[in-house]
Amino acid sequence: MKNRIEIVGVGMTRAAEEWELGLLDIAIKAAGMALDDAKCDKVDAVVVANALGGALGDQQNLALHVASGLGLEQVETFSVSCDEASGGSAVRLASALIVSGMHETILVVGAEKTSDALPDMLETVRAAGLDSANETSFGFSPTIAAALGMQQYLSTYKLDKELFFHIAKVAHAHGATNRNAMFRWTLEPAQYNKSPIVATPLSVCDNAPPCDGAAALVVKKASAQTSRVCILGSANVAVEKGIVHPITRLSLPAATESAKAAWSESGCDRSAMSFFELHDSNAFLAILSIEAVGLAEPGEALMRAAAGDFHLKGPSPLWTFGGHKSRGHAPGAGGIYQIVEAVLGLRGDAGENQVLNADKAMVQCLGSFGAQAVTHVLG
Amino acid sequence: MQIAKSWRRQPSNLRLEGTRCTACGHLAFPATIRCRQCGQAEFDVYQFTGFGEVVVSSIVYEAPRDFGEHVPYCAAVVRLEEGISIATMITDVDPEDVSPGMPVEMVTRRIAAQGDKGPILYAYKFAPLLENQ
Ligand SMILES: [Zn+2]
Repeated sequence: MKNRIEIVGVGMTRAAEEWELGLLDIAIKAAGMALDDAKCDKVDAVVVANALGGALGDQQNLALHVASGLGLEQVETFSVSCDEASGGSAVRLASALIVSGMHETILVVGAEKTSDALPDMLETVRAAGLDSANETSFGFSPTIAAALGMQQYLSTYKLDKELFFHIAKVAHAHGATNRNAMFRWTLEPAQYNKSPIVATPLSVCDNAPPCDGAAALVVKKASAQTSRVCILGSANVAVEKGIVHPITRLSLPAATESAKAAWSESGCDRSAMSFFELHDSNAFLAILSIEAVGLAEPGEALMRAAAGDFHLKGPSPLWTFGGHKSRGHAPGAGGIYQIVEAVLGLRGDAGENQVLNADKAMVQCLGSFGAQAVTHVLG
Repeated sequence: MQIAKSWRRQPSNLRLEGTRCTACGHLAFPATIRCRQCGQAEFDVYQFTGFGEVVVSSIVYEAPRDFGEHVPYCAAVVRLEEGISIATMITDVDPEDVSPGMPVEMVTRRIAAQGDKGPILYAYKFAPLLENQ
């Protein structure tokens, strides 16, 4: 890639229910950590990803307020809202501003505050990223769509529901050693099997738990001899909207095309990736993502998970810090958490979550039930 | 759903009306104002027959806000006989008895009320096809 972007600083808050901190507080906290890590006190622009704040009656135009709160003056600010693809989209925008020559150094923040909303209100607002007139208004949500998708997947491939345990198990195995994770415990089959059903066959344990959280990056144009982690390729692909498409086709063309384009730009392919961070807001999108980027053949994601492929020491390590499932799911910030975690892994700073000799990583987030996919290749 | 929005949606919500592109014949449900297949903007109203079959279904126990009154209810993807798949609720049947391939037809039902005093949305759901049809 000719116009590489380097990531000079990262920061993230713990994923949790932060009763004493508001949306703006956690955004500023993560941003401050990234600026400190970058040893940087001046940026040209601030891009902030957030999916739900406006609809939940919280702060709108968050980027302006984050910049102001940080005391950054004379900066250009952008607030990015692309459902659960907000984080990846914000990094794409920052990269474009740098590659265009418009700016040199940009602070990118993803933040979400879910714990102030009652659960049914939160589910309704999360559902607004779907087709509002034809799906949300009729009582559909990402969770119900995922339930339908799981059912279709199980009947198409003639599989048992219990196999989905292995998806949650991988995430929890890695999240158990992540000090920022909300659920730091390993998962046993008995615990999975007794998890309450939300919509058949999906249980609470097949959904990533909503949480408050913020993560941030400082990015700039890479110097020729940089040794820092760089963005080697990226792509943001949108396809026809509608929950019926992933449910009936059991595929995510946006995820496949976005991965291909990002790999092509980076000059490497899947086999060169040391680990993967894919979108696991629920188990259905998780397995379709795994198959979309070629980590399993169609219908085999659950078997590959059961075989141990996705563990830290397996052939295709996945969700190295627990993914959204174990770390916690802060929808608009998720895409930035994934990149921050990947940077730690590539720097060799991942501690117990380290993939040995990690060299390159692929990160992907999805919006509007997979109709949008943003992929970054880092290395 | 706000009153104006609900009013605007009446043709599709109450009559299952969509559009048929006069240039390429592409069917759209709900109605569109620009054909996503050919870019043309002239349409005939297309009345979908309202017959179809269940592709996949789920019994919902935890509903989004304003839908709690229906729990447990059956959410499904129904493929209309014209070939378009839609997300809808299945009604007039025990959710346990709904299965893929089941023939269904469109009916008009109460979808949700916005709180205690808000407008009530009436629109399509699908029910098992009566045997004499
Ligand atoms: Zn047309």
